[in-house]
Amino acid sequence: MNEYLEIANSGYFYLWGAVILLVIMIQAVLFTRLAWKEGKRIGLDNKRMLKGLRAGMVSAIIPSIPIVISLVAMSAVLGVPFPWIRLSVIGSAPYELLGAGIGAESMGVESLGGTGYTELVFANSVWVMTIGAMWSGLLVFFFLKRIKKQYKKIENRDPDWMKIITGAAFFGVICVFLARPVTAGGLPLITVISGAVLMTGCALLIEKFKIKWLREFALPISMVGAMVSAVIFAGILS
Amino acid sequence: MGKNPSNLTADEIFDRQVHRIGRATILTCIILALSIPLMAAVVFGIMPPIGPLISGIITVSSFMIPLSIAEILSFYPILGASGLYISYTTGNIANLKVPCAAIAMEAAEVKPSTKEGDIISTIAMAGSVIVCELILVAGVLLLVPLSGCLQNPLLKPAFDQILPALFGSLGAYFILKNYRLAVIPLVFGILFSIANLNTAIAVPLGVFISIFGARVLYKKGLIKA
Repeated sequence: MNEYLEIANSGYFYLWGAVILLVIMIQAVLFTRLAWKEGKRIGLDNKRMLKGLRAGMVSAIIPSIPIVISLVAMSAVLGVPFPWIRLSVIGSAPYELLGAGIGAESMGVESLGGTGYTELVFANSVWVMTIGAMWSGLLVFFFLKRIKKQYKKIENRDPDWMKIITGAAFFGVICVFLARPVTAGGLPLITVISGAVLMTGCALLIEKFKIKWLREFALPISMVGAMVSAVIFAGILS
Repeated sequence: MGKNPSNLTADEIFDRQVHRIGRATILTCIILALSIPLMAAVVFGIMPPIGPLISGIITVSSFMIPLSIAEILSFYPILGASGLYISYTTGNIANLKVPCAAIAMEAAEVKPSTKEGDIISTIAMAGSVIVCELILVAGVLLLVPLSGCLQNPLLKPAFDQILPALFGSLGAYFILKNYRLAVIPLVFGILFSIANLNTAIAVPLGVFISIFGARVLYKKGLIKA
C-alpha cells in the first residue's frame, strides 16, 4: 500500500547505517584507547579501568531496550533503516517522532504514515528530523572548547564549588525523570519504589558487608527486580 | 593556542587529543547523517518542495537550537568534554550515558569532577555506546520476532516500566549518598511533572534550579564538596 516504504526500506539506507555504525564504533574505540593511556599515566591501574568499562557496558544493557522499542514503533511509519540511523546518531525517541510530525505537518499532512503520507512527505520528515538533530552536534563541534574554558575558569576559582555544580547538575537531571513516575502513581510509582528498595538493599550489602563486586551489577540487578515487580503488580492490580 | 607542542603539559596534550578525536568523529557523523535526505533526493529523486521544507526546518530549528544550548551547558559538568563528544554523537544521554557513567565511577571508586572520574566515565560511556549500538543492530535484524516478544501481554508491563525502574534504582543510590543536594531538584522535578512540563524544557530548567539552590546551600555552609 504505502509505496514510500519501499524506498524507506531500501538497501542503500541499510548500507549507510552500517557506515555510520562503523564511525561510531571507531569513536568509541579511539576514546577508550586515549582515556586508557591517560589513565595509566595518572596512576589508575588496568583493574580499576576494566571495572569502569565493565560497569558501563553491563549497565547499558537494560536501558537500551526502550530504544529498541522506539525502533519497532517508528519502523511501521518510517521503515527500518532510517529510524535505526536516527536512534544511533544523536537520537532520542520523543524528539524523533516530533521531528517526523513537523516534517509532515509542513506538507499539510496530519498523521504520520496515514493517507496522504506520500514519499515526498516522507522525504520532508527525513529532512526535518535530520536537521533538527544536527544542531546539538554542530554546537558541540563549534563551541565545546569555549564552554570547557568557561567551566575551567569556575574550577580554577573554586574547585569545591565546581564539584558541587557537577553533583547538582546530576541531581537536576535524574530528579526530573524520577519525579514523572512518582506523580503518575499506580504501576510506575510501584516500580520506582521497588527499584529504590532493591538498590538500597544492594548499597547496604556493598557498604556494610563489603561485597565490592556488586557495585558493577547493582543497577541491572535492581532494574530487573523492579521490572519483575511491575509484572507481578500488573497482575494483582488488573 | 599557538603554543609549541613540546611546551604543552601532559594534561593539555590529552585535552587536545580529546578535541581532535571528538571533533573529527562528530563532524563525520553529521555529514553522514545529512547525506541520508540527500541520498533520497539523488538516488530516488524524492525532494520535497522548497516551501514546506524550509518551513519545517525553521520550526524544528527554532526550538532545537535554544534547547540544545541549554542542554549542552547542563550536561557538561556531569560528563566532561570527551563525554559530551560521545554523548552528542550517539544521543540517549539522560537515559543511558549519565547512568552508566555514574555507576562506573562508583564501581571504580573514583570521584566525579576529578581527572580519574573523567577517565573512568569516558571509558564507561564508550563501552555503553558499543553495547547499545549492538543491541540496536540486534533489534534491526530481529525486528519481527522481537516486536512479538515486546508486545507479549505478560511481559509488557516490565518493558513499559524500564525508565521508572532505572531512575528509581539510580535515584535511591545517589540520593541516599547526598540527600541535601537532592531535595531542591526533587521538589521542582515533582512540580514540573505535575505541571506536565515537557522533558526537553524540564531537564535544563531542573539543572539550573538545582545549581542555583546548591549555590545558596554552599554559601550558607550547609553542603561541602
